[in-house]
Amino acid sequence: MKSAVLLAVLSLSLSGVASAQFKSEDAIKYRQSAYVTMAWNMARIKASVEGAYNKDDVIKAANVIQAIANSGMGALYQPGTETGKGWEDTRVKPELFTNKEGVGKAAMAFNKEANEMARIAAGGDVAAAKEQFGKLGATCKGCHTDFKIKK
Amino acid sequence: MNGKRLRLWDLPTRLFHWLLVLAIVAAIVSGQLGGNLIVWHGRIGIFIVGLIVFRLAWGVLGSTYARFAQFFPTPARVKAQLRGEWRQPGHNPLGALSVLALLGLIGFQAVSGLFANDDIAFNGPLYDLVDGALSNRLSGLHYLASNGLYLLIALHLGAIVFYRRVKQINLVRPMLTGWHEDKGEGEDARGGGPLALIVALMLAVAAAYGASGAWLPEPPPPPAVEIPAW
Ligand code: HEC
Ligand code: HEM
Repeated sequence: MKSAVLLAVLSLSLSGVASAQFKSEDAIKYRQSAYVTMAWNMARIKASVEGAYNKDDVIKAANVIQAIANSGMGALYQPGTETGKGWEDTRVKPELFTNKEGVGKAAMAFNKEANEMARIAAGGDVAAAKEQFGKLGATCKGCHTDFKIKK
Repeated sequence: MNGKRLRLWDLPTRLFHWLLVLAIVAAIVSGQLGGNLIVWHGRIGIFIVGLIVFRLAWGVLGSTYARFAQFFPTPARVKAQLRGEWRQPGHNPLGALSVLALLGLIGFQAVSGLFANDDIAFNGPLYDLVDGALSNRLSGLHYLASNGLYLLIALHLGAIVFYRRVKQINLVRPMLTGWHEDKGEGEDARGGGPLALIVALMLAVAAAYGASGAWLPEPPPPPAVEIPAW
């Protein structure tokens, strides 16, 4: 009995990249929620760069996006979530699961611009924030074009 | 050739045509690139709404060969052309089909865009008038229709090359100069005077204003609640 438990613990820890596996529906909900949360914060930055600039608000918003960008969201595209329903039917394209190199590139480009957005937000330069906001948005679009179904 | 030229495309039709070319190219490029250009994409789209409505009005009020009734591709006319019996100046029946398809699809493209969103941070100016699901649906159709548009543009350009190379007819020059080189039995274009132009322009401006959403009621000022510190 004892040895069986030991064996189980051992095999678990040996499997190495122990990232949590979720129920597929939950994994899809988590990623959809994360994206919608980013859209909320993109809208906050947009309101600032197009209207009255609120430095604090932009910092908060940029930090949220940066945190999500660096959260390891890739793990939410676990096997079994190619199709299915989270809050709504998933809009992921099958290519996200097959074109690993492409999606990796899109995600890295996005991470880079998200980090840069947070850095610039801290500085408070409006023109720079506006320009970076555009660059960041373009990386969202870059991934959506190839990996999100339009419907 | 009998040496006499024919007044074919009036100036407003030509200006419309070349402005539309520029605007469509700009809309396609800005739509594909996204980023901060998406804001310009929206503005260009509103301009295109104005152009399309101008052309619709000019198709009634404009001079002879700009009128829809003059070139409307009835089945009898299409058949005549397919039998090789079409000789009249202006849009031939198949060309007319292409014109109407382009106007229709570009119109749909622009109108769907007004309600679209990009799932990032940009909404069309009339986004507030529909619910999110419909906006998503229209965004999807906006994307789908853009592929149809590429196809029609390719056909349009293909036909011009075909006429040039195979039939030795230059379709581009008349659209620049307004003159058709061979008068034949045709009549010079007439009508489409200043008054018609003013009416068509007013309709176009009204449409662009409607598309811009500038008439939507201002959102009520946020109620004076204190924003919580968290
Ligand atoms: C690495 C690729 C990638 C990047 C980068 C990316 N997205 Fe997405 N996005 C997706 C995919 C895939 C979906 C579909 C998810 C699903 O339905 O399962 C999606 C969905 C969305 C949705 C719709 C969510 C819903 O269910 O309504 C929004 C909104 C969104 N993304 C916003 C953003 C924003 C804003 C950014 C940039 C700040 C961004 N995305 C960056 C891939 C990406
Ligand atoms: C006839 C005029 C128009 C043309 C030819 C056009 C064309 C395009 C093209 C080619 C794209 C890129 C699709 C892609 O490859 O991702 C696009 C995206 C978009 N357009 Fe337009 N468009 C027009 C008018 C408009 C208008 C008037 C608006 C709103 C003001 C608008 C809003 C959008 C939005 C929000 C997107 C992003 C959609 C997405 O990423 O899913 N468009 N458009």
